[in-house]
Amino acid sequence: MALRKTTSLKKENMKRGLVPYLFILPNFIIFLIFVVIPAIYGLVYSFTNYDGLSEMEFIGLKNYISIFKDAEFWSVLGKTSLYAAIVVPLIFVFSLMIANYLIKEIRFKGIIRAIFYWPTMVSFIIVGFTWKWMLGDNFGIVNYFLNLSGHASVKWLTTGFAASIAVIVATLWCRIGFYMIIFIGGLQSIPTSYYEAAHIDGATKWQVFASITLPLLKPTSLMVIILSVIDAFKSYPLILALTGGGPAKSTTYLVQYIYQFGFERYEIGYASAMSVILFVLLGTFTAIQFKINRGGEI
Amino acid sequence: MKKGKVKEIIVYCAFILLAFIFLMPIIWIVFCSFKGSSELFKWPPTILPKNFTLVNYVTAFEKGNFGLFFYNSAYVSIISTVITVLINTMAGFALAKYKFKGANFLLVAFIATLMIPLEVIMIPIFSVVKNLGLYNNIWGLIIPPAATPTGLFIMRQYLLSVPDDLMEAARIDGATEWHIFWKLIIPIAKPAMAVLAIFSFMWRWNDFLWPLIVISDPKKYTIQLAISNFMGQFNVDWNSLLAMSVVAMIPVLIIFLIFQKQFVQGMVTSGMKD
Amino acid sequence: MIKKLKILTSVVLATMMLGSTMTGCAQNKKEETAVKKTASLDFVWFTDGIEGDVMKKIVADYSAKNTNVKVNLIEVAYKDLNTKLRTMIAGGEPPALARVTEPGTFYNNALNLNEYLGSTDTFSSQFIDSIKPYYVKDDKVLAAPMDVTANGLIYNKTLFKKAGVEVPTSADKAWTWDQMFDISKQLVEKGGAKYGMVSDVTPHRFSTLLYEFGGSLFNADASKAVINDANGVKALDMFVKLHKEKVMPESVWLGGENPNTLFRTGTIGMHLSGNWMLSNYKDIKDFEWGVTYLPKGTMSSSVPGSKFVMGFKGTKVEKETAEFIKYLTSKEVNSKYCTDSLFMSPRKDSSELDYSYGKEMFKIFAEELKNTTPKAANDWSRTDLMPKITIDYKNGIMEALSGKVTSKQALDKIAAVADKAIADKK
Repeated sequence: MALRKTTSLKKENMKRGLVPYLFILPNFIIFLIFVVIPAIYGLVYSFTNYDGLSEMEFIGLKNYISIFKDAEFWSVLGKTSLYAAIVVPLIFVFSLMIANYLIKEIRFKGIIRAIFYWPTMVSFIIVGFTWKWMLGDNFGIVNYFLNLSGHASVKWLTTGFAASIAVIVATLWCRIGFYMIIFIGGLQSIPTSYYEAAHIDGATKWQVFASITLPLLKPTSLMVIILSVIDAFKSYPLILALTGGGPAKSTTYLVQYIYQFGFERYEIGYASAMSVILFVLLGTFTAIQFKINRGGEI
Repeated sequence: MKKGKVKEIIVYCAFILLAFIFLMPIIWIVFCSFKGSSELFKWPPTILPKNFTLVNYVTAFEKGNFGLFFYNSAYVSIISTVITVLINTMAGFALAKYKFKGANFLLVAFIATLMIPLEVIMIPIFSVVKNLGLYNNIWGLIIPPAATPTGLFIMRQYLLSVPDDLMEAARIDGATEWHIFWKLIIPIAKPAMAVLAIFSFMWRWNDFLWPLIVISDPKKYTIQLAISNFMGQFNVDWNSLLAMSVVAMIPVLIIFLIFQKQFVQGMVTSGMKD
Repeated sequence: MIKKLKILTSVVLATMMLGSTMTGCAQNKKEETAVKKTASLDFVWFTDGIEGDVMKKIVADYSAKNTNVKVNLIEVAYKDLNTKLRTMIAGGEPPALARVTEPGTFYNNALNLNEYLGSTDTFSSQFIDSIKPYYVKDDKVLAAPMDVTANGLIYNKTLFKKAGVEVPTSADKAWTWDQMFDISKQLVEKGGAKYGMVSDVTPHRFSTLLYEFGGSLFNADASKAVINDANGVKALDMFVKLHKEKVMPESVWLGGENPNTLFRTGTIGMHLSGNWMLSNYKDIKDFEWGVTYLPKGTMSSSVPGSKFVMGFKGTKVEKETAEFIKYLTSKEVNSKYCTDSLFMSPRKDSSELDYSYGKEMFKIFAEELKNTTPKAANDWSRTDLMPKITIDYKNGIMEALSGKVTSKQALDKIAAVADKAIADKK
């Protein structure tokens, strides 16, 4: 009897050993074929002077050395980091705040959720069109109303500083809905029994939030931070539609810079090298975040 | 008691105001789609269309095969979403609840692939797609994007909160891992699956760069490719573009409204009580 | 039971993936056998206005007349043209032919049209000389011209009438750029305009001033960049002054406001653009508009442009492609294409087309084109160098406009990038 139990347990463990791999298999195959293999190509390109059309020449670390010497690359990287550093906390706070409210019993909460979520569905062309119409110097609605009420126009998209602000606001508008949904999912996975117990103990709203909600929200919070940082660093279509990277390159961030080299100047080798650097930076950030937070396990 | 009620109403109104500010640009776009070309560019601008007209919608439908593009987009989005939800729930479950060799490495590796912008690996991906016979094939739009790292991440984080005891209890009762997955995990994961369904549908519906690379046959164009063609080298046909963009927004909105009903509190608790 | 389900699910998934691969292969095979009977020409096309519809009719006509050839028009947006062509070519699936603006970038992959269309001299003698450097490189015909464009000045007739400003009636009576300041003041004060002029945001449009002040980007054989010489500085200084004194709005070059939509509001006096805008502005009913002569600097000049069709190597349908290109550039078809699309024909024998709209306007554009300095075509036809320079060219102008740098400094930067591109080419 005991022997049978041991062997069947062993069998169970072995079966279980294979099962997780089987569960992951479909994802893994697709990643391997459509992401890993092209990425390896990209890595190879970074050591060449490939231009997409003619034979590529191996040039070793030349691209990387040029990048390190390229003052503009560092300036663009700095701008992108600043943009991310501002946008990520704002997105986190606002989407959590809105999500927290929209899980209560509120009238029309489905529709209100839809309203916050809607901007994430709109294509970037339309977003650019709308925001330019609103913030255009001479033919923009905001300045029109400012003028009507006797104020001077603000050069929203023509000066570097204002344009950076405009880009941040547009990003928030576009992305809060997405993270709000993720937070709603996370918030609702916290068992109500915890809240009931706290209510009985007489805890205030803030105490409940700080000692129950936030800690139990860790898996979701970690995910929101990592995803929004990656999102911010990869920002391109939205900003392109809004300011085109201007005025005079003040809102040109990393992926646009890479794209310009890869597809407008045909320096695919150089562009690939920059992507490798971006990958290493973000990868390190993610790995560190993971380690610190133990993957979000509670 | 009354003071609390007043505060509640104020907060509610503040949220409605915020929601309205969020909605304003979109309302304006919808209004613009009903303006003819001379009213669209009038200065000072009008908010409500003075001469309400459907001409933009009619022109856009006539010019392009919009029924076909709509169908293509719907076909791709729906099938891809089904596959996406299935394989990512499976993979998320494995990464959340099994301690096996390479689990954390795989997770970080999957997420890492998010950091590679598609613009950069366009050419090698095209070669891969072509060599698999997926060039100009609608399945090329359905299968490769289904393994979305964000989706995987979402399911894995959500399933972390499933209590291990639940699974152990089921195992002691003699259930196989597959049984656990289908009968136990899937019901618990419903809210997260709803989130993923909403996102996946939206991503596939709004995909642009990927269909641009994979599809060349105009009959297989998706709606985003078709809308993009309203942008010329110097001229943009804003009227048709606006009308079609408004129409394109509707299915995504409908899917959202349907699935967001699944966001129900405390599914995990109910699992525990069983 | 559950085990069966597990096996079933994995089998289904595997079959789906396999099935898609097989249907993909089967489709390709079908198309290959079809190729032997009917040649299928993939024609990558971008459209700016109505020429897309015109080309669709031409394609339908051709396919009806030649039953062994089927032309598939693949429409993409202009901004995606390069991306699409590059991925297709680099990925080994080049289209049969495409409509392009810079044939030189695809020099290595171009179908050698000399094989099918005759010697370079015979072929190019059909078209006006100024665009020859665009499509002929190393004595090889890379592409065939479809239409030619010229920069020009579109103006708001109603506004000008209100302000009491008369436009020049002939080229020798054209304004100078110095006069623009007063004219703009009149338009604003008496005509109610917001600004005197808007210009498209591309170095191509700015270069109108460059050439009119005697400058150019390259020297005659493109061995060195000369844009930062005294003439270049004069031109950029003038452009900056026009913005500073509010003749042109800063918000267009620096803020991304669209010059087309601005002109359409009826509050802008002039649009520094070109003949391609005619079909777009055709539907403007709120005010009258017309075309007049460009202002001059130390001399008059416009800037030419052109669109081409080029074939690609390695498509297995090269012969049919070349024949189709020959058809498109023939006098009959090309004239019809240009007349219906409201374009100017590149053919020497088609300089006066029977346009259904705007005949007088085209006459002015044709005049402007004739009075263009050869330096303009010399610069813009260098399609192996230009793509590497245009971004910095545009940004340099923007930096000068924003006041961050002086004109000389901005032009020095552009010249440095241009010199680097020239050096890299060797």
